[in-house]
Amino acid sequence: MSTAIAHYQSEFERLGSLLPWQDSPQWQEWRRSGWAHFASLGFPTTRHEEWKYTSLAALEKLALSCAPAAPEAPQPTWDSLKARAVLPQARYRAVFVDGRFSPQLSQLDGLPAGIAVRPLSALSVRDSLGLQVPLQAVRARTPFAGLNAAFMAEGAWITAAAEASLDDPLLILYVTTRGGQAQHVVNAYHLAAGSRVAVAEQYLGLTDEAYFVNQVAGVRLETGAQLSHVKLQQEGGRAYHIGALQASQQGGSRFESHSFALSGAFGRNDMETALLEPGASVVMNGLYRVASREFQDFHTCIRHESPDCTSDEYFKGVLDGSGRAVFNGKIVVAQDAQHTASRQSNHNLLLSDQAEVDTKPQLEIFADDVKCSHGATVGQLDEAQLFYLRSRGLDPDHARTLLIEAFALDLLSSIGHAELRAAMDHLMRGHAHV
Amino acid sequence: MLIIKDLHASVGDKPILKGINLTVNAGEVHAIMGPNGSGKSTLSNVLAGRENVTVTSGSIEYLGQDLLALEVEERARAGVFLAFQYPVEIPGVGNVYLLKAALNAQRKHRGLPELDAMEFLALVKDKMKLMEMNESMLYRAVNEGFSGGEKKRNEILQMAVLEPRLAILDETDSGLDIDALKIVANGVNSLRHPERSMILVTHYQRLLDYIKPDYVHVLAAGRIVRSGGPELAHELEKQGYAWIGNETSGQEVSSGS
Repeated sequence: MSTAIAHYQSEFERLGSLLPWQDSPQWQEWRRSGWAHFASLGFPTTRHEEWKYTSLAALEKLALSCAPAAPEAPQPTWDSLKARAVLPQARYRAVFVDGRFSPQLSQLDGLPAGIAVRPLSALSVRDSLGLQVPLQAVRARTPFAGLNAAFMAEGAWITAAAEASLDDPLLILYVTTRGGQAQHVVNAYHLAAGSRVAVAEQYLGLTDEAYFVNQVAGVRLETGAQLSHVKLQQEGGRAYHIGALQASQQGGSRFESHSFALSGAFGRNDMETALLEPGASVVMNGLYRVASREFQDFHTCIRHESPDCTSDEYFKGVLDGSGRAVFNGKIVVAQDAQHTASRQSNHNLLLSDQAEVDTKPQLEIFADDVKCSHGATVGQLDEAQLFYLRSRGLDPDHARTLLIEAFALDLLSSIGHAELRAAMDHLMRGHAHV
Repeated sequence: MLIIKDLHASVGDKPILKGINLTVNAGEVHAIMGPNGSGKSTLSNVLAGRENVTVTSGSIEYLGQDLLALEVEERARAGVFLAFQYPVEIPGVGNVYLLKAALNAQRKHRGLPELDAMEFLALVKDKMKLMEMNESMLYRAVNEGFSGGEKKRNEILQMAVLEPRLAILDETDSGLDIDALKIVANGVNSLRHPERSMILVTHYQRLLDYIKPDYVHVLAAGRIVRSGGPELAHELEKQGYAWIGNETSGQEVSSGS
């Protein structure tokens, strides 16, 4: 057994009795099988095809504590967080500090009828079992999703009854204030037929020490349900963020997913959605920005399992310094998924000679009557555009910032939810000027 | 205003300008004509500071300063404006944003307060009327999806907003139909001013029917081979550029007053 696995095993033994829902055989089995999945695979190495460009060696060496913060640990104030929050005026918010739900920073009163947002720590055993529905598939997605299943203790459980809607977007904010910890957090979404939810998940690092957010999201959309989802990573300079998301979509449902990996030493996201019935559609878009020695990796997979579904995938990358990124976009069209319409593109802007991106579209099409397109580009700032802006009196830094911003912000127009779009626009413009 | 002395410049290893001498005084309009490949655009690019052109010898003095020592953006702020032959499209950057940023960069350089959004819009809308442009163009991305005529009008709009001391119009007439040409020429003419000089770089005499130059220079093989008044343009129109070959070895010609 590797040292890293031995470390997490001792954490598992140390904390096992403190994890929620101890009495439930279902959860005991869940944690056991999650652990077994992780322990049998261990930390993937670059010899593993899915991790070819992604080295976990540095993370593996860290002996991180898996215990959530003590309830009495000091917390930032909402006023201090507000300036960084993507939805500072959010009517509803669930805030977690160092892996623990913060009732005083959260605001979940007065949710619309049929909408429930609950922290995992507040769930009784009986209420908790529903979580297993959206999370069922994701826990075996990666070794880290397995590790998450073993340790999961906190996160957000969002449910919508049939036809219910949450149009004021919900902010789910995970703040990390200190190093040395590994947080295994969960977001689970179960939207019943015809319901609608808009949400922004934001991960915010307020420390320059090393820590690890091991995050999992499960999404289940019943017939005609719609989820507008923004995930925003603004992790600390020495942070590791590993996320896995798995969605399953019934007929006519729509999943709009926008990921923004804006900072953090290391980021990896494995995202997958399955379009299971006719009329389901997905938008899976994202932006990664890396500078200095940062690294971001998106592995996405869209499964067209049924006829007449559509998918749009659009990822962009801005790479500076010695930053590196990986985009691997897999589209699978099953044999009977006729009339599939699928578009994928990945465009990258390299701002330095040391920056590097590995981009790989991966199409596996077994149906014959489909429209699928894909394309990837890697380029640099356009000299003619820079010259034009400078010839009008703009200094070179301003001209560069404008062009980078234009490249990145182009992605925002695809966010269908107006408030989420405006919030991201506001946040990104500030970010690009830093 | 502008004194160019014995200017030699290369693009890559290839010498393009081989000893240009030109003096442009305040308020004058000079037309530089010449066949393709004569170095007209290279001269425009040298003045604006394009990096793919290397000045190998000679000097350019602009308002008493060494123009070649200034960065591209410093030249712009000091009042040099190039209307591009092919204005680039910049998706994602709003036309109005660029106009305002450009004007304020210049004002800041001159120690003037920056204009706020209201003041700026009032100014720019006024100038748009002159160019017969629809206000909606303000809110589009810079030149994105503009027709050839719209791009050229947008260049002159920028010039009208920035009010340069020295404007270089590089093939501004190319790709314009007669109606667009009239609008552009009208815009340029309205900007003529005793304190403003203009250099019109053009292949054809057509533009000069609408913008009357004070001086016309003929550029061939990287040198000014003839200079004269507006009548020179008409002569060229009749004779074409074929006769130039006979004169390129002729005497050094300096011009202006």
